[in-house]
Amino acid sequence: MKRMLCGKVGVNSLLASIVLLLLAGDALAHGERAQLASMRMRTVHWFDTQVTPLNVKVGDVVTVTGKFVTSVWWPKHMPSIEETVYLNIGVPGPTFLRLHSEVNGVPMMRSTAFPLGKVYEYTTVLRARIAGRYHVHPLLNVMDAGSLVAKGTWLEVADNESGEPFVNEVTTLPGDTIDLETYGLHGVGGVYFWHVLWIMMGVGYLVYWLATKKELFIPRFIRIREMGDDRANELLTKRDFIASSIFFTLTLALILGGYLWAENKYPITIPLQTGLVDVEPIEIPSGDLEVVVDHATYELAGRSLTMRVNMTNHGDSPIRIGEFLTANIRFVNAEVNEGEFYEGEEMVSMDGLTVSVDYISPGQSVDVELVASDALWEKFRMTGLIHDPDSRFAGLIFYYDDAGTRYYQEVGGSVLPEFF
Amino acid sequence: MSEVQAITEKEAKARALDIKSLDNPKAMKLYRRFDGILILVLFAFITLGIQIQFTLTAGDWDYWIDWRDRRWWPLVSPFTLLLFIGAFTYGIWTRLRLPIIATAVTTLLCLVSWLSRYLNFYEFTHFPMSFTFPSTYIGLGILLDCTLAMTRSLVVSAMIGGGLFGALVYPLNWSFMAPYKVPVEFNGTLMSVADLMGYEYIRTTTPEYLRIIEESTLRTFGGSVTPLTAVFAGLCGIVIYAIFLYVGSWINGLDKYAKRIV
Ligand SMILES: [Cu+2]
Repeated sequence: MKRMLCGKVGVNSLLASIVLLLLAGDALAHGERAQLASMRMRTVHWFDTQVTPLNVKVGDVVTVTGKFVTSVWWPKHMPSIEETVYLNIGVPGPTFLRLHSEVNGVPMMRSTAFPLGKVYEYTTVLRARIAGRYHVHPLLNVMDAGSLVAKGTWLEVADNESGEPFVNEVTTLPGDTIDLETYGLHGVGGVYFWHVLWIMMGVGYLVYWLATKKELFIPRFIRIREMGDDRANELLTKRDFIASSIFFTLTLALILGGYLWAENKYPITIPLQTGLVDVEPIEIPSGDLEVVVDHATYELAGRSLTMRVNMTNHGDSPIRIGEFLTANIRFVNAEVNEGEFYEGEEMVSMDGLTVSVDYISPGQSVDVELVASDALWEKFRMTGLIHDPDSRFAGLIFYYDDAGTRYYQEVGGSVLPEFF
Repeated sequence: MSEVQAITEKEAKARALDIKSLDNPKAMKLYRRFDGILILVLFAFITLGIQIQFTLTAGDWDYWIDWRDRRWWPLVSPFTLLLFIGAFTYGIWTRLRLPIIATAVTTLLCLVSWLSRYLNFYEFTHFPMSFTFPSTYIGLGILLDCTLAMTRSLVVSAMIGGGLFGALVYPLNWSFMAPYKVPVEFNGTLMSVADLMGYEYIRTTTPEYLRIIEESTLRTFGGSVTPLTAVFAGLCGIVIYAIFLYVGSWINGLDKYAKRIV
């Protein structure tokens, strides 16, 4: 899975990946713990991440769905997701084919932009291509900022017993059905054909100059030194001239011939397609709870984040706080016992959230203390929070009305460390 | 090394590399063996050098078929090749009169690219070869070397060969790249086969927006992007090649310092 974050992507990312891998080895491999704690808390809040099914065979379809909220606390110094972003999927390279991906119903073959403070629902449909056990992470590539990774889910891909080679067929607009796995490679005029031809031409040319001459490097060097620069051209014989003219003409003819042949065989071609697509963001479905963060402290020893907030219930149903989500970790209030959990779901702290108030009654305004504490803080290197240059936090609070309907909203603010 | 030894060695070398030694079959046999080693060393050096340089400069354009557009790739790849070739050609030409460097560089690059695509991309990372096969520049190398062999002039070969090298990248590769530019309809969007492959074969760290490819602007003259790029790349090819021939002559002149030390 290390490959996932160190593909062959040119100098910058290559060097960056090498440095990253040298510095932190495997821990950074999946990206869950790579970024500064405050960055993970204040970029994108992924939730309802679901991968189904978790056991498939090569050729089967896997669907990844979920939602995310773009944080209004997005760090100012970081290139924004409002500029250019691409919905991607964190699997080790093409172990899967991506058949489809969409955000809020818009196909995501291209890059897009996501305004802050909105909800986005995504779906990525994959087809298993290579057998193995993979930690699948939804992810967003944000231009100039890097990858924002959702939590992973382990997925088992078994070999297909039929043993038939994997094919990936599509039909082109001119109407041909092609297999992308081997398209364009074989046969006369294919990639292999032309490459073998050109390599033969190149080798042939080198053989002419390096293997058919009685005198090569050192003798020629001696002669040129003896003859001086003015007469040195005499070393090139008439035979050399003829051979070079033949190679020259043949090469030009092959280039031109190949070009015309391809133009004739593929008369309809288009340039590579690109450009941003637009996605209509969804407003966060607001419930009736107003939340004002008074202050927050992070207690090192207890590995817990304590938030003191003022909550006002403007609705007519009592409200219960069910969950706090930050940096992909779900701190669940066991007392409320609401919320869905998915097969294979990770980073859930089942009783990680304690809330000082059970209910917030209609019309009531109370000060509430929320404590999110779990060893997961440590495991996912959230304890680095106090070393961050910009010590602020953000997260989603999930709450439920009497009917069990879920609402959520983002909270955030400064966080002060507490050492004792 | 003592003073005496150094002198005798130098004398022996001077005597050995005498013009008369060319009539000596024993010496010629020795030269032949030495030439073999020299070719191996030179080719190994070129292979390593061009592989590193090409990866660092033209890397992604050559890795993925959905990066080989009609504007940037035909500009970037001849530049990076020509500056490498230019620096080498000067020395090999003035000292040995062998017009082989451009062909050697492009052929060796092609071979080592296939090796690396097969091992790194196909075997190790599971990309299909149809998505990551290398481009070829061998024909351009032959044209450049042949103009030098025929005209026997670095300047003229830079004008003609350098120009052809820049201008013909696209036509040369079009013979096998054309099928990847056939249109496909996908989710109601028009894509080329190459775009679709770039979408389906997942690259975690190479998101779509990272591609540096032609984007339509007001300056684009409709369908004439390819010929315009070719003309521009040809002109740049001449300039780049000439500049790096000059760099080569400068590198070549460095040996006067070596002589001074001796
Ligand atoms: Cu993972």
